[in-house]
Amino acid sequence: MQVEKFYYDNKIVKAFGIATIIFGIVGMLAGLWAAIQIYYPAISLNLAPTTFGRLRPLHTNAIIFAFVGNASFAGIYYSLQRLLKARMFSDKLSWIHFWGWQLIIAAAAITLLLGITTGKEYAELEWPIDIAITLVWVIFGINMFGTIIKRREKHLYVAIWFYIATWVTVAMLHIVNSIEIPVSFLKSYSWYAGVQDALVQWWYGHNAVAFFLTTPVLGLMYYFLPKAANRPVYSYRLSIIHFWALIFIYIWAGPHHLLYTALPDWAQSLGTVFSIMLIAPSWGGMLNGLFTLRGAWDKVREDPVLKFMVVAVTCYGMSTLEGPLLSLKNENAISHFSDWTIAHVHIGGLGWNGFIAFAILYYMIPKNVGH
Amino acid sequence: MPTIQPVTDNKTLCYHCGEPCPNEKIHIAEKKFCCEGCKMVYQILNENSLCDYYSLNENPGINQRIVVRKDKFALLDDEKIKTQLISFKDDTQIHITFYLPQMHCSSCLYLLENLHRVNPGVVSSKVNFARKEVDIVLLTKETSLRKVAETLTSIGYEPYISLNDLKEKRPAIDKSMVYQLGIAGFCFGNIMLLSFPEYLGIDASEVGLRAVFRWLNFVLAIPVLLYSALPFYESSWKSIKHKFLNIDAPIALAIIITFVRSAIEVINGTGGGYFDSMTGIVFFMLIGRIIQDKTYRQLSFERDYTSYFPIAISVLKDSKEIPTTLPEIKTGDTLLIHNEELIPADGILTKGKAFIDYSFVTGESIPVLKEMGELVYAGGKQTEGNIEILVVKKLPKAILPNYGTEMNLKSRRKINFIRPPAEPVFHLYCFTIAATTAVYWQINDPSKLWPAITSIFIITCPCALLLSNTFTNGNILRILGKNRFYLRSAQTIEDIARITHVVFDKTGTLTSANQQNIFYEGDGLTEQELNQVASIASHSSHPLSRALSKHLGYGKDEEVSQFHENTGRGVQGITDDGTFLKLGSAEFVTEQKSNTSGTNVYISMNDKVKGRFVFSNQYRENVEPLLHSLKRHYNVSVLSGDNDAERENLKKLVGEKSELLFNQKPEDKLQYIKDLQIRGESVMMIGDGLNDAGALKQSNVGIAISEQTNNFTPSSDAIIEAKQLPRLTRFIRLCIANRKIIIASFVLSIVYNIIGLYFAVQGTLSPVIAAILMPSSSLSILLLTFGSSSLLSKNMKM
Amino acid sequence: MSVILILLIASISVAGIFLFAFLWGTKTGQFEDDISPASRILFDDKPAQPKPNNK
Repeated sequence: MQVEKFYYDNKIVKAFGIATIIFGIVGMLAGLWAAIQIYYPAISLNLAPTTFGRLRPLHTNAIIFAFVGNASFAGIYYSLQRLLKARMFSDKLSWIHFWGWQLIIAAAAITLLLGITTGKEYAELEWPIDIAITLVWVIFGINMFGTIIKRREKHLYVAIWFYIATWVTVAMLHIVNSIEIPVSFLKSYSWYAGVQDALVQWWYGHNAVAFFLTTPVLGLMYYFLPKAANRPVYSYRLSIIHFWALIFIYIWAGPHHLLYTALPDWAQSLGTVFSIMLIAPSWGGMLNGLFTLRGAWDKVREDPVLKFMVVAVTCYGMSTLEGPLLSLKNENAISHFSDWTIAHVHIGGLGWNGFIAFAILYYMIPKNVGH
Repeated sequence: MPTIQPVTDNKTLCYHCGEPCPNEKIHIAEKKFCCEGCKMVYQILNENSLCDYYSLNENPGINQRIVVRKDKFALLDDEKIKTQLISFKDDTQIHITFYLPQMHCSSCLYLLENLHRVNPGVVSSKVNFARKEVDIVLLTKETSLRKVAETLTSIGYEPYISLNDLKEKRPAIDKSMVYQLGIAGFCFGNIMLLSFPEYLGIDASEVGLRAVFRWLNFVLAIPVLLYSALPFYESSWKSIKHKFLNIDAPIALAIIITFVRSAIEVINGTGGGYFDSMTGIVFFMLIGRIIQDKTYRQLSFERDYTSYFPIAISVLKDSKEIPTTLPEIKTGDTLLIHNEELIPADGILTKGKAFIDYSFVTGESIPVLKEMGELVYAGGKQTEGNIEILVVKKLPKAILPNYGTEMNLKSRRKINFIRPPAEPVFHLYCFTIAATTAVYWQINDPSKLWPAITSIFIITCPCALLLSNTFTNGNILRILGKNRFYLRSAQTIEDIARITHVVFDKTGTLTSANQQNIFYEGDGLTEQELNQVASIASHSSHPLSRALSKHLGYGKDEEVSQFHENTGRGVQGITDDGTFLKLGSAEFVTEQKSNTSGTNVYISMNDKVKGRFVFSNQYRENVEPLLHSLKRHYNVSVLSGDNDAERENLKKLVGEKSELLFNQKPEDKLQYIKDLQIRGESVMMIGDGLNDAGALKQSNVGIAISEQTNNFTPSSDAIIEAKQLPRLTRFIRLCIANRKIIIASFVLSIVYNIIGLYFAVQGTLSPVIAAILMPSSSLSILLLTFGSSSLLSKNMKM
Repeated sequence: MSVILILLIASISVAGIFLFAFLWGTKTGQFEDDISPASRILFDDKPAQPKPNNK
């Protein structure tokens, strides 16, 4: 037997990386455009597709699914292969995943600008696209689990657990929330009605934040932060404990989006209690990240990757403290329809997700050049 | 008597191991090494481009001055030995696990997992850092077990293969408690979720939903009752069999009562029950148990002599070396003992000169000279050259009196029941209240009798108490472990808190095994002459030469020519300026028998005797303040296997009142401890060598002292790193404080109990109150125990 | 609020999958060594360059 030779697939990482950059720019420009309209409405050009109502979902979808989504995929494809010491299960599936995802984004951009929407936040896309998302997600899943099965490294690093949790939960959330009755090719109605729909929607909506924007990104943090700092994570045991705590608590925080609605009182309180409980595992993750840099703060001064990481991890800590506080009923009574909520989202979306995306791009691009 | 100041200028440190280099002659380009061994390892790594080893940590290597004998691993070619060691074998591959005590940093991990670059026959090597083991898969066609062991040795990680490896494999770690925890956590989380409507009320229109939730809770509670709570049933059953009630008994009772009552409520549709409290209790208590049962897997508290001895030894038959496992050695065999090997059986020296280091046995590391025809005892380590012995007595019964027979005594005492203070009071209190309430309701409203009584058991369940116990113990174990004082189990904390008498072994415990006091008697020596002595000494690997050369600062820039070592006698050589130097025993240097006892190294220059270096044991640093502070609270005794030459010195250290006993044989030490215990004392014994093994086992708390944590120590309740010994008083104080913290949290939990009882005796304990009381009492007690024990240890500067 | 039942079934089954994963991980010793994995990821063996360059 010879020592096997194999190569990691870096091309797919590069492709997702480029997509990240493009959609980062697109998504943020859309956000800027929408924001300007608030004080200068004329910039909407008086065209239906560029009004605030259509630009806003375009902005949120572009940032969440196109920018952060592509960044996560880039990071996952990069780190998964290295952590498992194996090439991806199938290159073909990788590329179907890549192009499928980009086509979904393109379709989303077109339909949203044309005003074709289900009206459910972060799940605005109509049923044909929902089906496409499911298919692409399944392909990604086959590719990931296939790689895990053929791995050469017995131990699954904690980042991989985060990736697995992401896949499983997002699949379930997407399917449950997207059950809808099509009336035409581009129009459907949710299977649920009224407040029931609202509960399902926010159970999904909050978990989209949890399992599309947090768990994969935490996984990335657990891989790229130690790599960039070239020192092991502060406490590996803590990372395992915080993973399991997060997974078992996160899923029930959703109802806090429906405080003071027709949702039963106990369900609202349930959302609040679980949101508060989330502080512990979230801060466990943040502190684990920051303590990893113990004794390496001189590197932070030099290294842009670590600079981005520090901001990202700090923002993670801030938004996971702010979120539970915002979910308190008496607090929420004041803040609910204010800009605070939007600011909160941006600490998470831009500060945490965005800066991690920048950090891993800065980390991976120099290593990918020349291959 | 002129004493010499050690030379203490800054030395170049070895690029590989970080120890000071005796001179700057051994180097590759800019990189300096302390010895050829270190240089060789560097070369191997460099050739295989593994030099990342050095960039991960500074000077990560292990000193290579002691050269491992070439054919040491020849025994791995022996089929019989091989099959006993390997874990898997087929036509192409062998799987084996080696224990590498040298493993200490991420560089080691890097190097060992890249073993295939040094030896291409290795398919994979996987490190388990916690256990200091490496699992290796190798191809039988390309390499062999022996070659892999030699590869490991060549890069500085000599596998440690002991007689112990012949025994059955260590049992796998018991994971059942982790499973139980996982299931309890899952059920508890979901039950809590499903109990929310119960806490906060649900609209009349949704009663159906509530019923579903209750039934779901019921179903989810079953695995917790039947599986997760098993440890509590088992432990209470054991205690009942021993005819007393331990703390787990009321807990087991409370769990069962809570479940039954809740189930009845759900079935009758009268309420939601207390499944959330029940599963929560089990969940939190399991966490506490797991924290408390934290084990130091890399340490072994259960070592017996088999871990000290090599797996096999060369038996000479018809002048051929045959590797033979120890159990197969017979009386009358001739054994070839190589340099640095342990003598596995008592025997008569038949060839060579024995320089035997008995530090494993007695703690005394200055080697003893034995001539042909003399008896050598098992457990000693030959330190110079090879010898042959004729076995007269198999395995070391001689040095281990009553080994094993004492086991029963200890294990009986050590049944691991945690008995918190005031526990009987607690049972009494619990049952009195229950009885009073029962009588009251029987008279006033019999329908409330059972709800009230079951509520009392749910509320007074001593879970808070148990939590405080397990979490405080766990935290104290953690703090002590951080300070390199490792306890075998939480029970040891209790035992330490109860001691009344402290017994020390002298040699190797109060004195250091590695450091000697060296002073010089004779004609004055100039700086240059000292330097010459040092350089000659540094050419020899004899322990005395090594100690002397270290003491004198290794000697630098001094060429030595015509160096010659007379095994067991001394060394000689000619220095730069032509001085002929001799260094060694009285016989070798002065050509007359020595007339003094003790260990001496004589020197002569150009055949003129100059004087001698006298070696003596050195007391560890800060032993004096330690003994002083111990004396204030405890009776202190010192036992020594040596003669009473040190009596006066020791008197000064431990004071008049303390007992000092000399010429103590292992069985004397054991008997001494027994006598103390008969007088009602609770004894802590601190010792190091095998000769203390019996006494350590007998004492209430046996602490083995170790120079390095991964060194081998006799079986004990605790292991303390030698450097930490002066802080022993503080550690004891922390263990005593442990008790106080537990009592404080006990008081707190009584307060919660009273609040809960207020509702319970009235029969009005609602699920919300239970749901608030249970976690808030648990959490506040956790905060109290963790906070106060951590704060305390901070105050004690740990 | 019968929809809650659907959400419950979905959530509990996902939690059940994770519970299973946790038990599997414990059983196969995934959580046994909590020291070396953290360091191990720092070492990149460069599979793309079988002949490692001498620095």
